[in-house]
Amino acid sequence: MKIDSKTRFSIIVLISGWFILFGVIPLVLLVITSFLTMDPANLVRLSFSLKAYSQLLIDPSYIIVFIRSVKLALITTLLCLGLGYPFAWYTARMPPRWRTSVLVLLMIPFWTNSLVRTYAMRMVLGTQGILNKALLSLGFIHTPLRIMYTDYAVVAGLFYLMLPFMVLPLYATIEKLNFQLVEAARDLGAGAASAFIKVIFPLTLPGIMAGCVMVFVPTMGLFYVASLLGGARQLLVGNLIQQQFLNARNWPLGSATSIVLIIFMAVMLIGYGLLLRRFGRGKGISG
Amino acid sequence: MKTRFKPLIILAAVLLLAALQAQAAEKIFIYNWTEYLPESVLEQFTKETGIEVVYTTYDSNETMYAKLKLIKKDGYDVAVPSTYFVSKMGREGMLMKLDHALLPNMKNLDPELLNKDYDPDNAYSIPYMWGSTGIAVNTDEIPKEQITSWKDLWKPEFKGKLLLQDDLREVFHMALRIKGFSGNTTNPKEIEQAYLLLKDLMPNVLLFNSDSPRLPFLAGEVSIGMIWNGEAWMAREENPAIQYVYPKEGASFWVDSFVIPQGARNPKGAHAFINFMMTPEVAKACVEEYGYPTPVTPAIALLDTDISSSRTIFPDAGIIKQGEFQNDVGQAIEIYQKYWEKLRTSN
Repeated sequence: MKIDSKTRFSIIVLISGWFILFGVIPLVLLVITSFLTMDPANLVRLSFSLKAYSQLLIDPSYIIVFIRSVKLALITTLLCLGLGYPFAWYTARMPPRWRTSVLVLLMIPFWTNSLVRTYAMRMVLGTQGILNKALLSLGFIHTPLRIMYTDYAVVAGLFYLMLPFMVLPLYATIEKLNFQLVEAARDLGAGAASAFIKVIFPLTLPGIMAGCVMVFVPTMGLFYVASLLGGARQLLVGNLIQQQFLNARNWPLGSATSIVLIIFMAVMLIGYGLLLRRFGRGKGISG
Repeated sequence: MKTRFKPLIILAAVLLLAALQAQAAEKIFIYNWTEYLPESVLEQFTKETGIEVVYTTYDSNETMYAKLKLIKKDGYDVAVPSTYFVSKMGREGMLMKLDHALLPNMKNLDPELLNKDYDPDNAYSIPYMWGSTGIAVNTDEIPKEQITSWKDLWKPEFKGKLLLQDDLREVFHMALRIKGFSGNTTNPKEIEQAYLLLKDLMPNVLLFNSDSPRLPFLAGEVSIGMIWNGEAWMAREENPAIQYVYPKEGASFWVDSFVIPQGARNPKGAHAFINFMMTPEVAKACVEEYGYPTPVTPAIALLDTDISSSRTIFPDAGIIKQGEFQNDVGQAIEIYQKYWEKLRTSN
């Protein structure tokens, strides 16, 4: 199909218009708001102030939220990696007709809104939930486990929502892996462990890094998971931002928190890009 | 290429027409607390007046306020703030003056709940429901006799087990009353003392919930916590072990009122709706559904005796006297807000 230049032009205009309207303009507004003064009656007052940023950097309670948020996101990422890697590995090693089915099964929950799936997690993790009922009737426990409204529930919810973001990039790199190289390593006397560490791991590193970034970065903002499963206590930076905008009505502080989060994520993505350039390229030994 | 877009263009045109069609019917936009107005009442209103209702909910005064603040025009026609938000919003010019000539059913209202400090002469607001905030206990887990006072929530055995309302005035009310102050104090020293007391309570808190505090009780996640009387009544309908306690330092009493925000597009429809809500049969249906007392006095005679005699729903005069009605605290709300936020970020 040929696309004439007019159509191409209008598509480009449409996409960049969309991006400017819903991406650039809100971001600019956010940056501006973060430098304004809070006003209890009118949300913000048009006078320049650095108060939001100084509050954010000096008040220890905000730093604690940030640290806790990073911790929860890290745990989630490691869990996703630990379980996602073998999952992706065995999926990629399956006969091709099975692979597609497994990947479709992995993707099916995505057709449901993630908020709805978080509510579903409540039914699984609750004191009278599916998990407790199963464990009780199997005799593993005698009193129901209290999981809801703890960090465990939050991590379980985050893990469940984010796992596919880890599996898919891993699957993509493992599938492309040249298994002759693994065989060669084994022929040259490497054990299973050292073949993994010396050959497989470095070759799948780009996938690992991509998966980690794709899980870690959005996790810090998933406030509704922490609200619904963690009892509306401020666990993630996302909750802090939501609280500032809706309840405390401190828009400058909410904006400043968003900006700091965006910068933090940008640094991570740049770091990822640099790492990828160093390790990923030149070793492209794919099939 | 062009022909491929044709169906899309037709579809868009049809949708646009449908939207215009929908626009033609008279509508009102209502913004209310979660689980606070029976579906059947809304249907009845549409049937009687031909006015369609678009219904949206919120779970805290703060959320409602923040949203209304942003909408300058073409916004909601009716909202239901609590007392101190009625006065705050009135003061900030966010509310329309009510036309009492369009509200003849005001004659049904309990005079005790009219012309209060937060809204003299009911210029901006009409009370919808009132109620109390006390303690809910699951008596299967905790003997009811052990829980008599707000102070009991501070007991170390409830570490990580409490449910608190996600509402700063109600949470501060507990601590202020324990300290012997008024729940409506504007004295910064007293508010600070309440804050220090609440700080000790934070390790006991498992969750903050204000949309449906009864659900964690029914799901067995919590056995003790703050609750509204109506929620406690609804919970007991499903699980008789869940009991409501009026703490001895005094429960917090509140009133939620209908207001018409400044940006309303159909103030006439809004008046019709508010007037409709003051008819005794409608008020009766609301009490039966949610278990909150109504200011519409003639409705109470219509109720079954097990409802009208329930102490959980209709507290007696002694309990009301022991407690305190929530009132406007003026600018002091900013002080509360500051401490509330400190509590919420530190837990």
